[in-house]
Amino acid sequence: MNVHDLKSARPQPLPPKPRNPMPVWVAATLAMLWLIVWDLEISFETLAYGVADMAEYFSRYGQPDFTDLSRYLSLMGVTLATALWGTVFALLVAFFLAPLAARNFAPNAVTYRIAREILNFMRAMPDLLLALIFVAALGLGPLPGALALGVHTAGFLGKFFAESLERVDKGVCEGVASTGANFPQMVMYAGWPSIMREALGYVLYILDRNVRMASVLGLVGAGGIGLALHDTLRLFDYGQSAALILVILATILMIDYASAWLRGRLG
Amino acid sequence: MTTALIWRWPTPNGLPPLPLVGGVLALLAGLWLTAPIVEVDFVRLIGSLGRMVTFAGQMFVTPDWEYVPQLLAKMLETIEMTVLGTAVAIVVSLPLGILAAGNATPHPVVYRVTRDLLSLMRALPELVWALVFVSAVGLGPLPGVMALAFVTVGFMGKFFAESIEVVDHKAVEGVRAHGAGWLQVRLFAMLPQALPDFVGTVMYILDHNLRAAAILGLVGAGGIGYDLVMSMRLFQYDRLLLIALSIYLVVTVLDRASDRLRSRIIHGRRT
Amino acid sequence: MSAISIQSVSKRFPNGFEALKGVDTEIRSGSFTVVLGPSGAGKSTLLRLMNGLETPTTGSVRIDGETVDGLKVRHIRSRVAMVFQQFNLVDRLSVVTNVLTGRLAHRSWVGSVFYLFRQEDLGIAREALSRVGLTDKAWNRADKLSGGQQQRVGIARALAQRPKVILADEPVASLDPVASEEIMALLREICDRDGITVVVNLHQVELARRFADRIIGMNSGKIVFDGSPEQMTQPVLRTIYQREGIEDDNSLDMALAYA
Repeated sequence: MNVHDLKSARPQPLPPKPRNPMPVWVAATLAMLWLIVWDLEISFETLAYGVADMAEYFSRYGQPDFTDLSRYLSLMGVTLATALWGTVFALLVAFFLAPLAARNFAPNAVTYRIAREILNFMRAMPDLLLALIFVAALGLGPLPGALALGVHTAGFLGKFFAESLERVDKGVCEGVASTGANFPQMVMYAGWPSIMREALGYVLYILDRNVRMASVLGLVGAGGIGLALHDTLRLFDYGQSAALILVILATILMIDYASAWLRGRLG
Repeated sequence: MTTALIWRWPTPNGLPPLPLVGGVLALLAGLWLTAPIVEVDFVRLIGSLGRMVTFAGQMFVTPDWEYVPQLLAKMLETIEMTVLGTAVAIVVSLPLGILAAGNATPHPVVYRVTRDLLSLMRALPELVWALVFVSAVGLGPLPGVMALAFVTVGFMGKFFAESIEVVDHKAVEGVRAHGAGWLQVRLFAMLPQALPDFVGTVMYILDHNLRAAAILGLVGAGGIGYDLVMSMRLFQYDRLLLIALSIYLVVTVLDRASDRLRSRIIHGRRT
Repeated sequence: MSAISIQSVSKRFPNGFEALKGVDTEIRSGSFTVVLGPSGAGKSTLLRLMNGLETPTTGSVRIDGETVDGLKVRHIRSRVAMVFQQFNLVDRLSVVTNVLTGRLAHRSWVGSVFYLFRQEDLGIAREALSRVGLTDKAWNRADKLSGGQQQRVGIARALAQRPKVILADEPVASLDPVASEEIMALLREICDRDGITVVVNLHQVELARRFADRIIGMNSGKIVFDGSPEQMTQPVLRTIYQREGIEDDNSLDMALAYA
């Protein structure tokens, strides 16, 4: 707006107000949600009764029964071990696949595409589905659980690593490339050292997640504390269920704090 | 310096740095100690390869086309559970996120309590809560949606709080200087700035929740999971193939879409 | 004998920008050549072509009679070292490890991916570090050094390659005048003592005059001057730094008067 406009006696009319599409979006979203509620046949009556009963229901968990504590702790130990093996497996797979799936490091477009697709596939398969398959192939026990966690989180870890590698400063890559380094040397000198800290953060995050998931893998026969919880809940043994939930909760919170502490020290 | 040692690490003493050696040794020791617990058995692993191949072979059967209508209905139910659970969680997480953000919380005690509450809510996986809610309200999608929403609040509240904590302080001061009240500052200065981050978070969580919803049926909490387990148990590989494929397809589509949206938001903010 | 021979090279980037429009030149072995020119003249592209970081659209670049192309690029790079404006060191690795990256092309990947080096490679790295006067910083992390020191590590990395040619792409553009002087003197000394061919891109006319054997002037993708520092007169500088379409550029005269 120039000086001339400001001097003119009558204020210029404002340009027409742009139509705000917000209300339409809100209305559409609400309509969709209502449709979903209707389609899922969610009855608010049930919900209301459920919520009203909830207090009574949760009070049944009031007296945790710790008589079998040593068994719970050893089951929790199995769960933690499963998570550890799964995470290390994922780390190994991601370590080799991520550089191939990072655009700036991949030796050529074909390996890039293939590595990306493998990672996508591993990520898309839910770990419980994988656990079902591995249990069918390997039999019951924690090993199929560890494998399932490993395969599924290798997809995540590989994607995170690849994205970090793609953010490595172009100059640093060229600096190492200009010496005549080959692909593995590029990865080990320009790649991993530059993203070390980020990568460790991701590994801790995945370990954290795997501990949570490992505690439910028992549901499909893959060992650990999940199966025990499933059984006690089925038998409506609220005391033992409460004790199991508390053991899981305490362990996960401990891991949570430990990894937050470690991340704080790294970062 | 001995001449026998031809290979050396580029450190003053030619050996790898102590923390690194310690870390690697500790990890190896941990793996070695836990190997019997996890029942790691490489012979069994290799032995099972044959069964894996047989299993994979069984998957390549003519799909059970008559099952497709039911599959689509179940898949739709899974997606609906995801959307509803996430939507409920958004509504609950926004106020909790404000309370749990260091720069927006009304009081440090509220901050601490909300943070701990959120971390409790996300501590256990959806499936455990689904088990609990199924015993509380009965079978069906309702306990599934409740479990999804419950855990998602734990994650989303934390992510929201973190995005609010990094908003530009100057804009907030500006709004406050114009006499805006407590709630106005939060609604008109902080939330709009954190919005792009929120959208990224929601996409990420939708992605996560879809995977979670796909398995909730395992404990009778609705969605495709029930059919998945049943076809597995009954060796109906002609259905299993279809279910696995459809999960893969839906997850991949959402994954790509959320990647694209997230990168668009990030690049949009850079320019 | 010419170390580098560039034959009718042109380079067009995917975005359509034509960085080089038919460049022909030979660079004598053991000489110290400075390439001068305004930003965007194609100096960097020319240097990067010699190391295989870019490939020419047409024409060819030869080092010691060998064409720089995709297949031999690793072999060529092992003898053609590069020094960068932003140093391009790996921040998190120690100074010594950064220098040792100069040995990577000479060794198979088996040991080097575990950061294991032969005793003789460590000797070469130590020698290179003492040449640039940074022996006492050997175990520091690279990002803990000052800009001038980081650039000296960059040069030590280049020396560790035992190269025939060192290409330096604006090596002093991010440094203060004192450090710039040191870096240029170091490059000149390396050229004189080891007989390594040095090609440097520069912005500073005055540094070019003092250190170069030969100056190549570039403007909008073409060589517009090629001669000794003595031949580089004020009118020559005008043609090098002339902006396209501007016949009578007062600010250019002003700037050149102080150059």
